[in-house]
Amino acid sequence: MIDFEEELKRFEPAIEVEQAEADIKARDLTDLTDLLFNMTAQNNGTK
Amino acid sequence: MQCFFCGADVGDSHVCYNCGADILLYKQIIYTSFVFYNQGLEKARVSDLSGAIDALKTALQYYKYNTRARNLLGLCYYQVGELVLALNEWVLSKNLQENNPDADRYLADIENTPGLLSKTNSIIKKYNQAIEYCKSGSKDLAKIQLKKVINQNGNFVKAQQLLALLYIDEKKYFDARKVLSQAASIDANNTLTIKYIHEVKAALKDKNTGRRKKKNDTVSFADGNDTVIMSEKSFRSMLDNTRASFVNILLGIIVGLLICFFLVVPTVKDNMKDGNTDTILALNEALAESNSKNEGLQSEIDELKESLSAYDDKQDVETSYDNLFAAQNYYSTGDNEAASEYIQLVTKDVLGEQGQQAYDNLYSLLSPTILQGYYDDGNSFYGEENYESAIINFKTVVDTDESYDSGAALFLLGDCYRLTDQTDLALECFNKVVELFPNNKWGRQAKVYIAADDTELDAKVVGE
Repeated sequence: MIDFEEELKRFEPAIEVEQAEADIKARDLTDLTDLLFNMTAQNNGTK
Repeated sequence: MQCFFCGADVGDSHVCYNCGADILLYKQIIYTSFVFYNQGLEKARVSDLSGAIDALKTALQYYKYNTRARNLLGLCYYQVGELVLALNEWVLSKNLQENNPDADRYLADIENTPGLLSKTNSIIKKYNQAIEYCKSGSKDLAKIQLKKVINQNGNFVKAQQLLALLYIDEKKYFDARKVLSQAASIDANNTLTIKYIHEVKAALKDKNTGRRKKKNDTVSFADGNDTVIMSEKSFRSMLDNTRASFVNILLGIIVGLLICFFLVVPTVKDNMKDGNTDTILALNEALAESNSKNEGLQSEIDELKESLSAYDDKQDVETSYDNLFAAQNYYSTGDNEAASEYIQLVTKDVLGEQGQQAYDNLYSLLSPTILQGYYDDGNSFYGEENYESAIINFKTVVDTDESYDSGAALFLLGDCYRLTDQTDLALECFNKVVELFPNNKWGRQAKVYIAADDTELDAKVVGE
């Protein structure tokens, strides 16, 4: 049985057009290649 | 290939000999990113947009420069009605890779569609407002807002899901199913949509089963002012009895019809035949009677006609003598026209011997005047284009004197025939004119007609 209140929590407000720029800036674009780069840099530093 | 860390050329080796970076791992990361991209593409192709979005997000977590994956992610967002998220992806894609024709095209399309962004923003605001209404318990207002949102953007899956949730909460399962079907047609494999569909199906099934159970238990119907409730078994047995009665009635009707067809109808037919014969005989008698009456009446009419003609003759004798005397009197006073009119009213046959002699004498004296009268009348009718009357007058003149007025009467008679399309008679007249007066104007004109066989010339030309 669906609990309306619980289900409602799943629905978050959508991003408005004015917030688009802020959203882009707030994005964490770090990917696995960045982590690999950092790890390699750390390894080279310790050596 | 160059090392991702120091930029040294590493060839096909798995480790960079310059900096010790793990090139194999780097390659595996990028390869995995493209594997997820392919998965996302496959899912997007079968309308599994939420699955595609997940796969593409994963692809970008592995390798953020996977531009194809980012552009496709933007497209998937756009398809489920999330235009702002789509825009974000395309802008990021353009920033991360300068030469990016696909992202350029998408962004240009949005820019070149006037009012698209403001419309999108208004839709998003309404959706956010609906969520607020839901949280504050104003579910009716929320539904109104969500319906507006779906009307303006039929692809907004989240709005459809929220509206379905509201319907489910109100136990309006049919409405919920309708909205969820729409959402499923856009994003076929959305977990939330599928969950709600299952919920709705289960609820509808329960409802139907409940109804059937109720139906199976008892049967109720109105009997006058009372409502009768009985078990289904009793109801069935009652129905069976009713059916048996109905079959009996039906059999009775069939037997009645057969008796009527084989016994009553022939008798009625015979009676009708007898009746018809009598009627025909009576009518024949009446007809014979009418015929004999008709013959009697006809003979009576003939007798009356004879007596009437005798009476007319008697009357005509008197009038004829009166007219003869009047003509004689006018002639003696020199009024030839009046005399000629009166003499034409005389019936010669009813006169006595002396009377007929007097008539002949006077008629020979008045003949030129009479002919002149006919000729003048013919000319008047000819001028009025009343050719039928003109023919009668000219013919009277020509019958008495063919060469009247040097063939003018004969020519004009021919011309009247010509103008009334009686070509043979016309040519006959023209030939006579030529025969009698070959050198005068009537003869010459008649020759022209005969030579040209042109009987359609205008009457005025003839006159000239």
